[in-house]
Amino acid sequence: MVLALVAFAFGCAVPARAQSAKNYWFVGTNLIFAKAQIRDGETAVAADDPGLGRFLTKLGASLAYDPGQRYLIVTSGDRRTVVFTLGDQRYTVAGITQSAPFAPYESGGSVYLPLSALAKALYVLPVEQGATVVLQPQVGSLDVRTQNSVTLVSLRSALPVKFQRTSAAGDERLTIALTTLGTSLETQRRVTGSAALRGLTFQVSGSPRNPTTTVSFDVPPGSAHALAPSRSPNELVVAFSNRPGALAGPAVPATGDAASGGTALAVRSATESSPSAPTNEYAPLPSDVPAREALPPPPLQAAAHVTAIDAIPEGDALNVRIGVTGTVSYEWHRLSDNRWYVDLKNAVLDTPARDDQPRSPAVLSMRVKQISPDAEPVVRIALSLPSPRRVDVMASAGGFTLAVAAADDDQAQRVGAGRIGSGAVIANAIPAAVPALPAGPSAGDFWSKPAPTPPPAVRLPAGTNARLIVIDPGHGGSDDGATHNGLVEKNLTLDISKRLRVLLIARGWQVKMTRETDVDVFAPNDSAHDELQARCDVANNAGARLFVSVHINSFTGPSLNGTTTYYYKGGDASFAEAIHRRLAANLKTADRGVRKENFYVIRHTTMPAVLVETAFLSNPEDAALLRSPAFLQQVALSIADGIGDYTSNATQVNVPSSDSQ
Amino acid sequence: MKALRAVLLLVLAAAIAFFLYRQVLQPKRIAADTITVYYCKADGETLVPWKVSLGPARDRKSIAFYATAQALAGPVTGVEAIRFPPGTIARSVTLDGETATVDLSKAVESQPGGSFAESGEFKALVWTLTDLPGISKVRILVAGASLAALPGGHLELDEPLARSNW
Repeated sequence: MVLALVAFAFGCAVPARAQSAKNYWFVGTNLIFAKAQIRDGETAVAADDPGLGRFLTKLGASLAYDPGQRYLIVTSGDRRTVVFTLGDQRYTVAGITQSAPFAPYESGGSVYLPLSALAKALYVLPVEQGATVVLQPQVGSLDVRTQNSVTLVSLRSALPVKFQRTSAAGDERLTIALTTLGTSLETQRRVTGSAALRGLTFQVSGSPRNPTTTVSFDVPPGSAHALAPSRSPNELVVAFSNRPGALAGPAVPATGDAASGGTALAVRSATESSPSAPTNEYAPLPSDVPAREALPPPPLQAAAHVTAIDAIPEGDALNVRIGVTGTVSYEWHRLSDNRWYVDLKNAVLDTPARDDQPRSPAVLSMRVKQISPDAEPVVRIALSLPSPRRVDVMASAGGFTLAVAAADDDQAQRVGAGRIGSGAVIANAIPAAVPALPAGPSAGDFWSKPAPTPPPAVRLPAGTNARLIVIDPGHGGSDDGATHNGLVEKNLTLDISKRLRVLLIARGWQVKMTRETDVDVFAPNDSAHDELQARCDVANNAGARLFVSVHINSFTGPSLNGTTTYYYKGGDASFAEAIHRRLAANLKTADRGVRKENFYVIRHTTMPAVLVETAFLSNPEDAALLRSPAFLQQVALSIADGIGDYTSNATQVNVPSSDSQ
Repeated sequence: MKALRAVLLLVLAAAIAFFLYRQVLQPKRIAADTITVYYCKADGETLVPWKVSLGPARDRKSIAFYATAQALAGPVTGVEAIRFPPGTIARSVTLDGETATVDLSKAVESQPGGSFAESGEFKALVWTLTDLPGISKVRILVAGASLAALPGGHLELDEPLARSNW
């Protein structure tokens, strides 16, 4: 009221005036725009108006604005960005420029933007109905695509789609009624280039407040239809095809929503369905599962260069040293006829290609050449072995080393992959199809092969208790961690940690836990800083030799699964590697590799520290594993074995068996 | 002669002043019409760059805010990506030297417990902002406050993040 008086008093000095009593109605509720103004006959709403906030929330959208800069950015529920600029009449919707009735402006400490343009971008149409403006949700976009004799019609709307099929099963036309939605799309759309759909029409019925859009599909005889999977609840996708068997799902049901379209199409694109036949002699065997999914190529990387290749015999074993600049992804395969090869992805061979017989009983011949199966350059190093030898890919100064064992090993892995850079294994993936480690004493032999480049002796800082390991069960007390599928992270981490403690004590270690029950380590409902630092303090103050934080991962979707081991400090990579190798070999989870990550507890602990993300409790298969005590025991055992591998490799302080410390 | 020298000196001084203005007072102004925004694929590791057109405002603060908003929104639905929780917006973006300070809304705390998503989200945000000239670090605030990590989270946030953190 005051605003109105002020606006009236100033008359035309103020370009916009306060809104006269106008009601806004949106899907069953009255919206009050407390700060609305009229500008050039159009409604302007303030970015900080609570009414606008409610409107956006209902649409799953959000608005960002920071005074002092000029953009107002609205993100729709399906993550399209709508960008307004102060003082500019143009705005963009998902990158496409449109023109608004007026430019967003500042007034009285608020910024105002055109409601109609914003609403339209969010598929909402303002419809005048007397003194009330109905903000009507719309079917806002139509997309028709035909591929491989399947025509897909995608309809996107402001709100989650609910529909009723109004045509009978045998009708010539398929008609679908979309409730609560209007549309201002053109009423008739002809579809060309499809044998399964001639066109479609839209018809809006009902009242402005309660509209229904009926979509009628003109289908030639013999054409079948099915609901197809959609990308969001706000999208409905209907598939048409007149090729028998092209559609896998049932016909469009009598009622449903966008999520009903769970069926995949039977026909995929030709490129997907026909893998190219193996043409070269080193093509992976069908039984070999490349670890590509587990280990995507490193992003945004210039090609690495292979600068040197030296074969260095070590007794009956052979080390092949490969000098590499940059980071390189590799994938290796062991073929059944004792050939072994590694491909260095996106790598250029700077040395001459070679084909020779190194003077070592470990290999019959070695070949190095540049190949380029795709656009990407690949350096392939192939070894012919006299017998099934184990070949390890290990980081070494200036690149990495292929260590060919002196003795036979029938149990050796057949395929592996990883990433190496600056003399460190950045990530390493071992496919799930790895034979299990042999049980009993031979398990030790399996790993205790003489290492060609033994890790440097560990010099423990003063005050370190060389026998002490601190286990940190993630979360606890007021902090549940992740919860999914009826599982609670804090309980699982404590369970695994207790099992790990038993194993480590049995092996002669001293163990301290950051918590032994379901409590916060610092205080209930404390800050993340206090809580995480308290965990670090336990290890730092006790002078622990090693720190292991146990966690369970989760994600918003159910699809992600697998085990990851994290480290942060440069020297901790080998510790993480040692633990992860055991986890990857023993667990039936997907291998997500070893990663460097800026996690608090592994950064602020002063000793070698890892954080193990055991599995995803948001994934049904992983969750089933996490319910099994046998799995939790296997996790604990793998960590304990990894600690054993790591500490026995760090030769000079080989505790706990040594009493000299 | 004296007058000519004075005029020359004046012209020289003006040229130097103009140069200084361009180089120092308006450093690293973005000339391009697009910026590069990154999203992290669901594998948690691969960053995918994509180009986004800039609107008419080209001052550094506006562009930094714009880049942040685009990174928080991520690609449109249907593209498989690790995403910030719905409703996560930039409350403000300020620039101080090479550090951009991004103040996120509380919504960022709405999906606790997943170190995996946390890492992918912030990696994409940090790569997006540090792609802008003159920005090498990103400080994260939530609802105006600095914090060591998200509640129930893992990623250290009390020091500015840089690409080298990953």
